[in-house]
Amino acid sequence: MKEPVFSYVPGTSLLHRLDPRTKLAAVMLLGVLTFRAESFTGIGALFVLFFTLALLSGVPLKVFARAVRPMVLFITFIFLAQLFFTEGEALASFGALQPSLEGLENGTRIASRFVLLLLFAAVLTASTNPSAITAGIERMLRPLPLRWLGVTSFELATMMNLSIAFLPLLFERVERTKAAQAARGMDFGKSPFRSIPALAVPLLRGLVRDAGELALAMESRGYQGRARTSMHELSMKGRDWAALLVLLLFSILVLGL
Amino acid sequence: MIRLENVSYSYPGGTPALRNINLEIEEGEFLGIIGRNGSGKSTLALHLNGLLRPEKGKVTVRGLDTRDFARLPEIRKLVGIVFQNPETQFVGRTVEEDLAFGPENLCLSPAEIRVRVDRVLAETGLEKYRHRSPKTLSGGQGQCTALAGVLTMEPECLVFDEVTSMLDPGSGTAVLKRIEGLREKGKTIVYVTHNLEELHAADRVIVMEQGKIVREGQPEKLFSDLPGDPGLALPSLIELAAQLRAHGIHVPWEKTRSPETFAEEICRLFSKT
Ligand SMILES: Nc1ncnc2c1ncn2[C@@H]1O[C@H](COP(=O)(O)OP(=O)(O)O)[C@@H](O)[C@H]1O
Ligand SMILES: [Mg+2]
Repeated sequence: MKEPVFSYVPGTSLLHRLDPRTKLAAVMLLGVLTFRAESFTGIGALFVLFFTLALLSGVPLKVFARAVRPMVLFITFIFLAQLFFTEGEALASFGALQPSLEGLENGTRIASRFVLLLLFAAVLTASTNPSAITAGIERMLRPLPLRWLGVTSFELATMMNLSIAFLPLLFERVERTKAAQAARGMDFGKSPFRSIPALAVPLLRGLVRDAGELALAMESRGYQGRARTSMHELSMKGRDWAALLVLLLFSILVLGL
Repeated sequence: MIRLENVSYSYPGGTPALRNINLEIEEGEFLGIIGRNGSGKSTLALHLNGLLRPEKGKVTVRGLDTRDFARLPEIRKLVGIVFQNPETQFVGRTVEEDLAFGPENLCLSPAEIRVRVDRVLAETGLEKYRHRSPKTLSGGQGQCTALAGVLTMEPECLVFDEVTSMLDPGSGTAVLKRIEGLREKGKTIVYVTHNLEELHAADRVIVMEQGKIVREGQPEKLFSDLPGDPGLALPSLIELAAQLRAHGIHVPWEKTRSPETFAEEICRLFSKT
């Protein structure tokens, strides 16, 4: 089976034991930092930070590589676009295309930023149980006046959990419906305009049924969309504040570089 | 434990699915509900913890009326349901998380939830799948997880709605064993099936037809009445016993439990003559 991107790797490292809110805040801060860091020393420092965190987490590097891989084409495209279409000192000439030094710098900077974003996000997801992430987000959203929007932070958290849980079910249903229609003699190869309605109607019917069954099972287990607790104990400990302090100092350093 | 008084229910725009049901489910009993497709078994099951509420009549769980919205959390804590399709009853992305869903809704403390989840994982032998997605489990393990997700709520009564119908016979038997084990622990069990063979452990069986209870009794008694009832899928051994009975050969109910006991009985009968 294909390994999922951004998967959780159970463990007991310091990173695993940090409160999810610490890690969420850290990723947000690092995201901003990544796009603020202009100098290559700064970007280099961020890569060093990533490798330090990866080592600390004890998660194999291939897990992080998996997070970047699907985006490689996109990142390469952006890099090339920058390389060839930034005005500046020409490095070489391929007819009309002239890669410039500024383009090379810009391209490297932007590509590094995307890679760094993906890597830091992967550090968060690899070292944090998915439901701890949602519990953390829920807890961070709780003080917001969401009631004006007609939802509670608990509902939002459940919605996040469910949509992630429901996606594989959706894909599976698409495959199953396709197979069932093919068995009835539908040809999907020829015209997508003919096959889409033939697929969509039974697909929707099936999904509505799935969703109905799921809702019943949830209600049966006491779900009410009201306040609920979480298995993941959220408590900011000394190490969380220490981690945030270190990160803050690091940020000031990187911005100064 | 649960009492249904003159309960009737129809789905919006449909014909009546339950007609005037009267039923008392005793504390600690193993009740079997059997009937062909569309006879109203699932509709009845959904009434047992207030997922559906009767149009006429009333359902009470330890005296709590299911039409009283304020009591529904208590009722759902007392009565848990395991459904037919393992795929559409998982909420958690990992087995562990799914087991925590019920206790989280009960607003237990994180420490208490951990204790319950760990205990049920150990009891059901799901420890090694703790961090797996429930969707990647086999049918049998999936239903076991679904059962575990209800057990963490520590209900007094468990309702099973055709939980083995999507499993292969081997895992079906394993799930059934587990359910019979729960009964030993004093839980009240309601087991819905269309397969009489699964009800060897039942104290009492009701037969449903077109939304009504048409027969009720010990499985042994129904076993001698049922043959000739079209539409009810009689399992092979029971059907065989029915055919033999038509020829004057009587194989008792206990002996239809397995091919071995059945064969022994046949041999015994023949060696007598
Ligand atoms: N969600 C629904 N909407 C409308 N009618 C339904 C629904 N579920 C079941 N029914 C109808 O109610 C009757 C009883 O169904 P059900 O309780 O599911 O029977 P069983 O579980 O014994 O197969 C059937 O005639 C069925 O078509
Ligand atoms: Mg049913």
